[in-house]
Amino acid sequence: MLAAVVLVCAGCMPADQEASIPPLSAGGRADPGLGPGTHPLSSGPGYKGSPSWSPRGNRIAFTVDGYVVDKPLNAGEVRRWTTRDFVAEDVEWTSENGLAIFGLVSDPAAGAGKAKVPRSVYRARPQEGSPEVEEVATKVLAMTPGPEGMILALETGASESELALMRDNGEVDRFGSKPVDGRVTSISLSPDRRKVVLAARVPADRPFFELRVLDLREDTHRRVARLGADLEIIGAPQWTKQGICFVAGKEEAQGGGSATPLYDLYRVPPGSDSPEHMPGVGEEFVASSIRGSPDGERLAVIGRLNPNSPINLYILEAGVLEALTSNEDMEIKTGPDDLAWSPDGASVAIVARGALSEEPRVRPGPADALLEDFYNLYEVPLELTQGAAR
Amino acid sequence: MREAVVWVFGAALAFFVTAGAFLLLANLATGPSEESLPPDPQPSQSGPALELSLDEDQLASMEALPDQRLDLGVENAGDEDLSDVNLTLEVSSENTALSDARYYRETVQALEAGGSVTVQFYLDLSEGEGPNPVAVPEPPRKILEVRATTPTGVSTVKTAILPL
Repeated sequence: MLAAVVLVCAGCMPADQEASIPPLSAGGRADPGLGPGTHPLSSGPGYKGSPSWSPRGNRIAFTVDGYVVDKPLNAGEVRRWTTRDFVAEDVEWTSENGLAIFGLVSDPAAGAGKAKVPRSVYRARPQEGSPEVEEVATKVLAMTPGPEGMILALETGASESELALMRDNGEVDRFGSKPVDGRVTSISLSPDRRKVVLAARVPADRPFFELRVLDLREDTHRRVARLGADLEIIGAPQWTKQGICFVAGKEEAQGGGSATPLYDLYRVPPGSDSPEHMPGVGEEFVASSIRGSPDGERLAVIGRLNPNSPINLYILEAGVLEALTSNEDMEIKTGPDDLAWSPDGASVAIVARGALSEEPRVRPGPADALLEDFYNLYEVPLELTQGAAR
Repeated sequence: MREAVVWVFGAALAFFVTAGAFLLLANLATGPSEESLPPDPQPSQSGPALELSLDEDQLASMEALPDQRLDLGVENAGDEDLSDVNLTLEVSSENTALSDARYYRETVQALEAGGSVTVQFYLDLSEGEGPNPVAVPEPPRKILEVRATTPTGVSTVKTAILPL
């Protein structure tokens, strides 16, 4: 009986039709190695990262080899915002026509020591055809879009930070709240756009991380949780309906002696001050980076089900983890800013490339049309979510 | 017992007849969409066609130094003779912030149908300006993009990525 049903179902799909659909070209492949439905948003060489969707969702900005570009979502024209000597680390839209860029101007004399150089925030706007980039704040530790402009964490002392608002006109106003103890490492906005959650490294005999919440209306901040001294928070904590979520961990040596970071996903449930392992992801889950959806219902997570499984993009919603990609042999970038939700919450942008090879590769076509050989941006729609991951 | 066997056989027969009818209807209904699908791309049987070939063993032996020899195979895979086949080879960095592209050009005066020729290039693959260690945390690879064009509009492009 079952065989007969299969026979009937198979008969409804003519074999000729299945076979006669030609594969898409490399420039518009339906499946670039991340699973069906994944759509490339960029192509060609360049170390790309920090995708950010425009408020209307029709353009995407990102960094390439340190400079900033943006482009229409489904077209190839790239608009360049900064010069080659710029080192942009994060980019966010301030309006449909403006960007806030977190980074610094490159100083070749500083060399590799630039990692210690304070970052600035620059305001970029298109001005008579060529973008105008203006430094508006220095000694910036982190930034996130807010309801009235960009919210900045500023370094004001060796163990003290302050929060400020960068308005669209470039003015920077410090919040009246008292300074934050320690060095703010990351901040993000709550879905109701009334609060900001921040992670801060608080110096003491044994430095530890704190989670704090700034109420933008009351202009006050309070500590939500304190982590153990052996845990560090990676990237920005994210506010969801399940609580404040964050990735934290410490470097652990694995077999062979190489140090591999093993980070876990945690949350502080609403009303609690105690971090706990995120329910629903499994004990062996290794998290890399997270982003809360615009409505706070879902959490996009780049990670592995266990240390030996392929890295994928997952969606965590109401305690259920679902794989959004089915990674075959791609290397998904795991930086804290290397994933972004579209404004309507229908897609997530990630950055990925094929596995690196020590052998030369020869490809048909021009370099700027190649996808898997270089880090490129991919749009992963939620509607194609395939079954639970576990 | 015999009645039961007859009954089961009859039910199975009825099922397969119905399934067959559905199968027939399903195939009839999808007939037009099959016709509207684009045909499979067929290899060109006639007209001009250029093919480029790069020796991967030779590419693997290259170093980030000047005077690296590259043998580029150019084949006229079509059925028309070609003249003035312009070859442009661009050597650039994977790091697009670096403006150190180098260009090499050669021309094949005549290439008869079905014929092939090997063109030698001596490339400078030495490092140009240094990459920015903050912006790009890994050493950039070299990119060789080879383009062959003719005045009549025949063209082809190949790209090699070298982890030097």
